[in-house]
Amino acid sequence: MKIIKNYLPLAMVMVMGVLMLASYYVPHKYSVDYVEQMNKWENIVFAFAFLLGLLSLFVSHYGKIRRRHDGWGYSIFVFVGFFIMVIPALMSGGKQMIDGQVTGLGWSFRYVYNALSATMFAVLAFYIVSTAYRSFRIKSAQAFVLFLAAFILILGKVPLGQMAWDSVMHWTGYGIDSVIEWIMSVPAVAGKRGIMIGIAIGAIVTSLKIIFGIERQYMGKD
Amino acid sequence: MTETTWLIAGAWISAGLTIFLFSFLYKDNPFFKIAEHLYLGAGMGWWFQVYLYNIWKPKVFEPLAGGDYFVLIPALLGLSLVTQFIPKISWISRYGFTFMMGYGAGLEIPARLSTDFMSQIAGTIKPFSLMASMSGFDILNALIVAAGTICVLFYFFFSVEHKGSVKKISNIGIYFLMIYFGAAFGNTVMARFSLLYGRFDDLYTSSAASNFYATQLILVAMAAYFLIHSFLGKKDQVEEAH
Amino acid sequence: MKETLLKFLKIDRRWIFLALALILFTPIIKPIGLPNKTISKDVQNAFNYLDKVPAGSFVLFSLDYDPSTRPELHPQAEAALRYAFKKNLRVGIVTYIAGSTGLIQQIIEKVPAETGKINGTDYVVYPYMANALAAMTQMASDFYGIYDKDIDGRDARSLPVMKGVRNYKDIPLILSITGTSILDYWVAYAGDKFNVPVVGGVTAISQPGYGPYLQTGQLKGLIGGMKGAAEFESLVKEPGKGTSGIDALNLAHIMVLLLILTSNIILLVVRYL
Repeated sequence: MKIIKNYLPLAMVMVMGVLMLASYYVPHKYSVDYVEQMNKWENIVFAFAFLLGLLSLFVSHYGKIRRRHDGWGYSIFVFVGFFIMVIPALMSGGKQMIDGQVTGLGWSFRYVYNALSATMFAVLAFYIVSTAYRSFRIKSAQAFVLFLAAFILILGKVPLGQMAWDSVMHWTGYGIDSVIEWIMSVPAVAGKRGIMIGIAIGAIVTSLKIIFGIERQYMGKD
Repeated sequence: MTETTWLIAGAWISAGLTIFLFSFLYKDNPFFKIAEHLYLGAGMGWWFQVYLYNIWKPKVFEPLAGGDYFVLIPALLGLSLVTQFIPKISWISRYGFTFMMGYGAGLEIPARLSTDFMSQIAGTIKPFSLMASMSGFDILNALIVAAGTICVLFYFFFSVEHKGSVKKISNIGIYFLMIYFGAAFGNTVMARFSLLYGRFDDLYTSSAASNFYATQLILVAMAAYFLIHSFLGKKDQVEEAH
Repeated sequence: MKETLLKFLKIDRRWIFLALALILFTPIIKPIGLPNKTISKDVQNAFNYLDKVPAGSFVLFSLDYDPSTRPELHPQAEAALRYAFKKNLRVGIVTYIAGSTGLIQQIIEKVPAETGKINGTDYVVYPYMANALAAMTQMASDFYGIYDKDIDGRDARSLPVMKGVRNYKDIPLILSITGTSILDYWVAYAGDKFNVPVVGGVTAISQPGYGPYLQTGQLKGLIGGMKGAAEFESLVKEPGKGTSGIDALNLAHIMVLLLILTSNIILLVVRYL
């Protein structure tokens, strides 16, 4: 039993991992076909993983409604939101426009989903500003450098800022545009590259750990 | 209903949902909670139909109906994930997870190696091979990029203690990081403001007469709700005090 | 003095929210019309390439963005389409993102009517295709291999707008406006492989990443973010949402900077009091 429960899955990770890794570098037709097939399979399995999340959401909110837990009324709206998107989708076969006419799904997407998701992200703008005021403390030389880079960028992206810069710094002969370009293509690139390389090394090490079965958290309890 | 009625209804609904979500900035309230839960459901619903029509239907149901049983393998692996909910047989889900993890880990290594590791290093070194055709300023820039990248890497090298010259180099690295974060912050601010502007623009369109002043009426209704709510709240407090 | 300053520092953040809301909302109602001074090189190049296309030629617009990136990209698309119509170019619109279809519909309802352009004669919209790569490769040999019908179901070959267009050789310019990495695909599979000039429109966040392509000339021009949209609008002389957006952002950006400076100055003053 232990074989089926523990060893086989671990063996699968190793086989899958090594095969994917190897096929990337092998230009033979079988290997390319294999990678394509695995991509298709991964799409399908991933779609089921989504189903997992969806079911867990439904179970939790349905449980809230059934037990009349605190705030169960709101849980009903989770289902309402779900059906507002899914029912028109089923009716129009997943298309947002048919023959130049907006379908129910198109309407739902534009006026419900879009309004909600864009607003959720837009609310962050407010928090950025209030946090900038209350927590952006320039207490060290390094924080000052961060502020300076941010300052130049925020100022230079709007015409008013450009004019303000020109009125003070026109003696340098460099508009704020070129300063921003320099910042983005020299020091910022250095910082970003360092981070990317560091992350890449970390990711490779973790992936190797997973393939060789050293990292087993995702398997859950034994 | 005619098309214009749908458009007006849409304007009201999107203006209403937008204002409900924004109302959280003033104070937590039931309207916000409703909009928040709707967002949860609608988001899941949207992705559900995306997966349904882009993956389940064309790549699973149709091949199966046409006799192509090969797709049963990924389908079963995927279904095994759902057994997570049933404690007795949840070990079956390990097959689904190990497939995904093996695939992901295997793909990650070459992808990271080539895009994030090799090409970044190549990009740093390449300018030096073209030195003959570059101006003095360009050479200086290329040197700064290379030196900066190395300094940042020194900062991340935690297996060696940061003392002496290592500490000095990693301090320089920190400055480069600060410039990058500052630039990223600047860009984020601009992107978020653009998004917010877009929402306000939509609200403004919904406030037109042709939409029966959706934005204004909903704003007034929310303000009225807050006023009445706080008034009733104060009344309760006064009664409790007695 | 110290107490009032400290109180100011700990101001209820809802006042800041209100200030930001007012600052962003007012220019929408009453545009300030702050001048847009500099035109960046890449936007100028993008405009020049569109400008150079001879009247009557067919250009391909690939509009791949969804409502989340709309404020930055929609004005770019509108300005470009208006200018193309002004120059009497024939326009074909394709998309590889499901969420774009609604937005394309909005443009089509608005812009052609202003200049009296007719669907099928002056412009055509093609249905959404899930596989961008397959479409791009197919268009190199035979456009109609993948787009045989337009979005209304009409046979593409029979439309006056498609006269003389068979593949990439007959398309002098591709304009790709997107918030995704589709522009990279256009550059690689149409620009690099088949030497079709590609001009791009992207969000401000993605803009820095295209520096390398612009340097090597693989990408002929780039319109970046809302600022790029505003610059492009001023070049085509059609002020739109890009310009008014930049107006609003003007004040908002200055406000953020002032807030950070103010809070730190107050801290300094308090420390030395």
